[in-house]
Amino acid sequence: MTRVKFLCDAERCIECNACATACKNENEVPWGMVRRRVVTFSDGEPGERSIAISCMHCTDAPCVAVCPVSTLYQTDIGVVLHDKDTCIGCGYCFYACPFGAPQYPQASLFGSRGKMDKCTFCAGGPEENGSQEEFEKYGRNRIAEGKLPLCAEVCSTRALLAGDGDTVAEIYRERVVARGFGSGAWGWQTAYYPEGEG
Amino acid sequence: MSEEVQIRGRDFVGYRIGGAIAALLLFVALAWQTVELFDGDNITSPEVRWSASVVNGREVTPGSDADSGLLAQQILAARTRMQEDRQNTGPAPGEPAPRLALGEGEYLTESPMPFDPALTRSWAIADGETAAMLRPRERLVGISSLPYVGAALFERPDGRDWRLGMADFVTHLGAWAMLGFAFLLALILAIRGRVPIAKGRSQEKIRRFGFIERANHWMTATSFVGLAITGVAIGYGDTLIRPFGERTLGTIGWWATWSHSIFLPSFTLGLVVMAVYWLYRNLPSKLDWTWLRRGGGFFSDDPDNPPARKFNAGQKLIFWSAILGGLVMIVTGLLLMFPFYVLGIEGTSWAMLTHAVVAALLIAIFLGHIYIGTVGMQGAFWAMWDGLVDKNWAEEHHELWVEELEAKRGGRA
Repeated sequence: MTRVKFLCDAERCIECNACATACKNENEVPWGMVRRRVVTFSDGEPGERSIAISCMHCTDAPCVAVCPVSTLYQTDIGVVLHDKDTCIGCGYCFYACPFGAPQYPQASLFGSRGKMDKCTFCAGGPEENGSQEEFEKYGRNRIAEGKLPLCAEVCSTRALLAGDGDTVAEIYRERVVARGFGSGAWGWQTAYYPEGEG
Repeated sequence: MSEEVQIRGRDFVGYRIGGAIAALLLFVALAWQTVELFDGDNITSPEVRWSASVVNGREVTPGSDADSGLLAQQILAARTRMQEDRQNTGPAPGEPAPRLALGEGEYLTESPMPFDPALTRSWAIADGETAAMLRPRERLVGISSLPYVGAALFERPDGRDWRLGMADFVTHLGAWAMLGFAFLLALILAIRGRVPIAKGRSQEKIRRFGFIERANHWMTATSFVGLAITGVAIGYGDTLIRPFGERTLGTIGWWATWSHSIFLPSFTLGLVVMAVYWLYRNLPSKLDWTWLRRGGGFFSDDPDNPPARKFNAGQKLIFWSAILGGLVMIVTGLLLMFPFYVLGIEGTSWAMLTHAVVAALLIAIFLGHIYIGTVGMQGAFWAMWDGLVDKNWAEEHHELWVEELEAKRGGRA
């Protein structure tokens, strides 16, 4: 049973921001919004590390649970998608998101946040897969083409891994064994194993 | 009981039957809401499944949905393998694509699937090797070179707590508070009947509220009801409107969101004017304590109610709920309309929770206000409608106020 996940190898990410750039380009994300970001800790100090983050497509996704208009929904591989036609811009998903993923258009009037936008795991939206309408609203549907998110496939150091969670974890573990160190799966406890003890 | 009592609460048979019917309906709603609390569907479950119908020109056996679904997952898992380090994995340029891959112009399809939390529960279990990889959950904010608000945030586990607070706690308990209080009021009407003007109507009327007071009251009331209805449409649309279709829910939700802020200016102005006109007479006094201790004389038909000036303790509580509650709602509402101007994400999410909790309480309180001002008490409604109340009503509920008025009139004469 495939359950897709994102895993960023914090020892490999070089903060080139290619993932963020490729994502914006591939999905034609509107001005002022970003689906994938790179966050740096201890910048300029020993132990500095950068990690790419976007929507993690959580297990028991809190955004889906709080959405008052059922805009957000999950698919059987774990991808969390949204329906731009029903979104009312209330911001609930943003308050509930553990990773700051939902984005809103900047040009807003009287506090209206406009239609939410977020990472789709390159899986489009409710429109017909591969259609022009789907592309204009959500960007490329690479999953429907049998491919994986571009941010991971474009990663030059293969720090960012996306796809079947078990496979991704296995690749990461083999890597850690080969090089002898690794700081673990950042954000996974919060995103994928909500019931486990923190 | 004194012989003065001409009208009794239990004589309002029509009102009592109406109250009984309302109580019955509200009891059903309350029971249903209780079931909702414990039916265990407060877990996100997948709604859509992927499947492969054509792979490299070959049609997948029709009628075997499960197999085509499995195939879609295998295609994605095979692709995941390609992210292994380059020395371990192909294909090199020019090599054929992996066997399990879609051809040009072939797409996986999506179809709806039934509610089944078992899948979510299975995802939430980490095997031993994965469990060893997990880092403890912690709040992490770094820096980011990307110029976006909130770009430096990596992880905030409290998001899940917010979901618990909003979707489970506030929504369900809010519904409980509103439905429960409405049920109680309907039950009171059914059993006790209206609070009567015990001595019957007199021929004399007394002016209680002036034109500006009444106009302002109804402006504020209309705004409040508008805010409440649009707010409930947003907060409970998933339960109340979703059965009519997700498109309908989205459209109504969109209108509700916009109208919700449109009622803000009139509501704010109304509260300010109310404060100017009524604040002084609503300051607490010793009489209020006596009034509250006797429950306002609510349950007896005896005309001898605890004495009150223009506003009794009950009315004062309503006034202060409107002023203080309204203030909280306006402040949190404004903060929510302009996120990141004053508060960051944590502050805004607290503002949202506060807004929702106080909203549910205010709606419950003002259900009580609407009740006592209309069906709950004979003669009360006219105070705010044409501004004139029956003299007997005034003497029964506000005897000190009537004395004040008479003293003034006597002084002038």
